[in-house]
Amino acid sequence: MTTARAAPAGPRAHPGADLLDTLVAEGLDWVERHRAHFRLPPDVATTADPNLTLKPLGELAELSALIAELHPRPELRARARRLLAHAWQEARQGELFAELVRGEPQATYPVELYGSFARAGLRDAAVEELVRTTTGLRGWQLAREDHTRTLAVLNAEARIGLPHHTDFGAALAHTWLGRRPEPWFLECRTAYGLTHDVFHLTDWGRAPSRLSPAAAEYLRLWLPAWLGSWLEERLWDLAGELLAVAACLPGAVFDAAAWQRLAAARTADGALPERDDPPPPGTGAAECFTACYHSTLVLAFAGTLARTATLDSEAPG
Amino acid sequence: MTEQAQGAAALNAVIADAASGIALALRGEGDPYALTRTLPQEDALSPAAVRVLGADALAPYALDGGRGADGAGSADAAMVRQALTAFPPGDDPAAVSTWSYRGLVEATRALLPAHAAQLPPAPDPADDWLDTEPWPRLSHRVSQLASLALPGLAGALTDRLSGRTEDLARGFVRAVRRRDWQQAAGLGRWLARLPQTPPSLGLDSGLRFVQQMSGDPRAAVHLTAARTFFGRGR
Repeated sequence: MTTARAAPAGPRAHPGADLLDTLVAEGLDWVERHRAHFRLPPDVATTADPNLTLKPLGELAELSALIAELHPRPELRARARRLLAHAWQEARQGELFAELVRGEPQATYPVELYGSFARAGLRDAAVEELVRTTTGLRGWQLAREDHTRTLAVLNAEARIGLPHHTDFGAALAHTWLGRRPEPWFLECRTAYGLTHDVFHLTDWGRAPSRLSPAAAEYLRLWLPAWLGSWLEERLWDLAGELLAVAACLPGAVFDAAAWQRLAAARTADGALPERDDPPPPGTGAAECFTACYHSTLVLAFAGTLARTATLDSEAPG
Repeated sequence: MTEQAQGAAALNAVIADAASGIALALRGEGDPYALTRTLPQEDALSPAAVRVLGADALAPYALDGGRGADGAGSADAAMVRQALTAFPPGDDPAAVSTWSYRGLVEATRALLPAHAAQLPPAPDPADDWLDTEPWPRLSHRVSQLASLALPGLAGALTDRLSGRTEDLARGFVRAVRRRDWQQAAGLGRWLARLPQTPPSLGLDSGLRFVQQMSGDPRAAVHLTAARTFFGRGR
C-alpha cells in the first residue's frame, strides 16, 4: 500500500516557504523565458543528438508535470502547466513518439518520454497501440544493462498502462538503493543512479511511502554526508537532486543552509548552472541553456517536493 | 624552501618514522616497544614529535601484556615529561592541542603508572563544542583527537561522542570521499570504539579500504589501533 503526497491544499506554514517558492518561481520564469531552446529540430527523429533535443524536452515534461500537480501555490501550478503544454505541443501532441518508436522500436527512451506525458493525462491513442505491440515482444523483456534504467522503463509502463515487463522489486534489488552499499563508496555517476532509483520508485516523489523503512533509514543517515560533499564540490545539479530525495523521506529535515547555497549559486537571471560558477559573460545563449536548463528544472522540482514534504516537526510520534 | 618549511618537513619526517614504529608495535611485530627506541633521545625534534603524537606515543603499552621493553618505562616517561614541559597547552581551552596534552598526561598515568610522578597537571579542556559543532567541523576536530581513543583513556569524551555517532559516521563518509585518509582513519578509530556505529556504514570494509588507499603512517596507527584495541577492520 502506498500513500500519495497530499494534493495541494493551499499554501501552509513551512519554515522555508519564502525561499523555496522564490526559487521555484524564478526557476520557472527562467525556463519560460528560454522555452524556445526546447524546440525540436526537423531531424529530431533521425540525425539530431537526442541529448540536446529529446532529453531536455523530456525533463521539461517530467518536472513541469510534477510541479503543475503538487505545488501548493496555484499561480506556480498554472505556470508549470503552461510549460507542460508547451512540451506537448513540441511533441506534436504525441505524434513525435510514434515516429521515434517506428524509427527505433527497441529503444526505451521514446516509451519513457511518452510515459511522462501519459502520467499527466496527455495521451495519444496511436502511440499506445504501437507501444502495446513493441513492449509486448519477448525482446523487450531482455534484461537491460542498467538496473536504474530498468526502473525508469517499468515506471513508464505503469504510467501508460502497459504490463510490467519484469518484476519491479527484483530490478530494484540490483540497484544502489536496493543493495545499499557502503555510503563512502558513492561517486558522481552512482549518485545520479541512486537519486533516480528513488525518483522511479516513488514516481518522482509522488508516492514517497514506497520507500521501504530500511531504504528510508539508509537515506536519512547518509544523505547529509553526500549533500555536504557535493555542495563542497559545487556540483549544484546533483545537490539539487539529493535535496529532492531528502524531501521524499518521512520526517524530512529542511536544510536551510543547503538551499541557500543553491540559491546563491544561481546566475543573476535565476538559472542554476550544473556545476561551479555561472557561464562567463559573453557565453552564447545555446551554451548557457545547455549548462543551466537541467539544474534549473531540478531546483524547481526539488523546491516543490521540499515545499510539500512531511517535515520532522509534523511527523507522527 | 623557507627555514620554517624545512623545519616542518623535518619534524613531519620524524613523526612519520615514529608512527611507523608505533603501528608496527601495535601489530605485535618488531622488537618490544620503547618510545626512546622509536624516537632518538638526542634528536632535538623528539619532544615536538611526542607532543604531536600525543597518547599514541605510548599506545603500544596498552596492548594486552604489553609491558614494553625491559626498563624502558622510566626513560619513556622522562621523554614525555620533556615534551609536556617544552610544549605546554596554549590559551585556547577548546583547542586540539589542549585535548592532546591532556591525553598524553592521562596515557602516561594509565600506562606507565610507576613513572607518572612529577607529571604536570592535566588541563581541563573545553567540551561544549562536542554538542554544538555541525557535523563536518565536529568530525574534523574529533579526528584530530584520535590518539585519545585508547582502552581505558578518555572515557568521558567517548561517552559524549557516542551521542554524535551518526554525525561522526557522516564525517567518515565525507572524509573518504575527499580522500582525506588521515581524517578518515582518525574518525574510523573513534567509530570502532563507539558502540552504536550504524552497520550500513560498512566500517570494517571502510577501515580496510582506507588502509589500502593511504600510505600515511599516522593513518596506519589509527587503523591498527582500531583493529587491535576495538576489533574493527580485520
